[in-house]
Amino acid sequence: MKTGLTLGLLLLLFLWYLSFSATRLDRLHHRVETSWANLDGLLQRRAAVALELAHSELADPASSLILMAAAYQAREADMRGRSFAESGLSSALKLLHGDLEGQSPSAEKALLEELSLLTEKIKVGVAIHLDAVARTISVRKKIVFKLFRLAGTAPLPITHEFEDDDL
Amino acid sequence: MANLKPLKIGIVCPYGWDAPGGVQNHIRDLAEYLIAHGHSVSVLAPCADEESLPEYVVSAGKPIAIPYNGAVARVLFGPIAFSRVRQWIAQGDFDLLHLHEPAIPSLSLLACWAAEGPMVGTFHAAAKRQRAIFAIGPILEPVIEKLSVRIAVSEAARLTLTEHLETDAIVIPNGIYANKFRDGDILEKWSNETIGFIGRFEEPRKGLSVLLEAIPVIARFVPGVRVLVAGPGDIDEAMETVDPQLRSRVTFLGRLTEKEKADFFSSISVYVAPNTGGESFGIILAEAMASGSCVIASDIPAFESMLGNGEFGALFKSEDSQDLAKTIIDLMRDDSKRDSLARAGKAHAEIFDWENVAEQIFSVYEMAIVGSEKVRLASDTRSWSRLLNRESEK
Repeated sequence: MKTGLTLGLLLLLFLWYLSFSATRLDRLHHRVETSWANLDGLLQRRAAVALELAHSELADPASSLILMAAAYQAREADMRGRSFAESGLSSALKLLHGDLEGQSPSAEKALLEELSLLTEKIKVGVAIHLDAVARTISVRKKIVFKLFRLAGTAPLPITHEFEDDDL
Repeated sequence: MANLKPLKIGIVCPYGWDAPGGVQNHIRDLAEYLIAHGHSVSVLAPCADEESLPEYVVSAGKPIAIPYNGAVARVLFGPIAFSRVRQWIAQGDFDLLHLHEPAIPSLSLLACWAAEGPMVGTFHAAAKRQRAIFAIGPILEPVIEKLSVRIAVSEAARLTLTEHLETDAIVIPNGIYANKFRDGDILEKWSNETIGFIGRFEEPRKGLSVLLEAIPVIARFVPGVRVLVAGPGDIDEAMETVDPQLRSRVTFLGRLTEKEKADFFSSISVYVAPNTGGESFGIILAEAMASGSCVIASDIPAFESMLGNGEFGALFKSEDSQDLAKTIIDLMRDDSKRDSLARAGKAHAEIFDWENVAEQIFSVYEMAIVGSEKVRLASDTRSWSRLLNRESEK
């Protein structure tokens, strides 16, 4: 009788743990999605600003060409190629930024300011997203999560490799 | 910051509101800054004295003193505190929770457990690896994981976080009101070959003894040298411990007001922070630099990064009085070197100004609230609270 009670309690506790873990994983998946949506929006805005920069007086024809190509690539890349394309845009922007140091007319100054604000936000956004992805993957690797299929049908998040120092 | 709609922000303070401490100061300044910029802020904190609290502070009960991390922490937890936290969250209707030091047993941890939604956690402490933390790591992990963004106040704090909880954080320093320190008056009584020290001098880890041991050597090269010690503590008792031959050179000033502090920093020749460890940030160094003092600090990790490895102030080998004496003599006899260090420090201190720091914290808030709903009670504690509420109704 007593062992039955203990076993029952243990089973209850275990079931609670399972539901707790499922909630935890669900929360993580949710975080991956929202942080990606946020980051995606920021990156799109950056590509738009980059295009505007490319069309402006600021850039010489050569860097304008590079910038435009990188921006289009970043916009059209699929999920898997995205981080690579975005890193490309980062380095293109960096190239231009290095040239412009100190000599920007007032009209384009606003653009450059917006760009640096966006860059700061993107850095934080990347950190948040990468953290969410890494967490989710590491949690999903745990045996309990695998054994009881707590992830359900949710796809495994994609690891992006943004090069932060390039941003 | 101006282009954003006003937010309802809930901040949880882990330590007793009325006890002095860096975390409490940080929260007070942050809350007042946010309120001044049109946001509504509620701070939940343990309070020993529930009267005379600022309007934005909600008391969660009296704190209990427990030994933690080599010092006594005044924190609060337990079932009653937990139900107060839940109540505060349920009634607050917050857009965002900002939890401070959520990895220690405190109100912040309870709030992190109870809530769901946009949450930001700030980690202040820097500690050595501890076995106890490893033991509770697995329990803490799912809780800490709920924070949307983690902030560490320094590289040292970030390192502690990655070592203990295997999670990364964004480094945003603590803030100071640089304006208050920019224009201190130079007072005759505190100037001329003076060494300044501010802190709870009774605590060995603040390192006053390291400084005092260096004085005899310094006096040989700088005959007029004097040490000015400010900070709370029993002055008579402290004077007892000072070598009788040095007593004429040491003055205890007691606690300084903000204005006196600014004047103090402006008047002294060098500011010395001989702390031997347990420091995570070193806000006092930021203040000293902002006032244009030449800063000399021990080479513990927090101070090292604060002073840019010696770029914005001089470093000496921690707990080494000989090295400290050498550094002080060197700087006291070389006015141009002292001035250039002080100037570099003053320029660097700008990054600790609240204008900058709050801006960074706020952009983290923005990132945290994107796409999420309001803060609510977590689904896995909601059933508990229903159960408990029913019990309390009986």
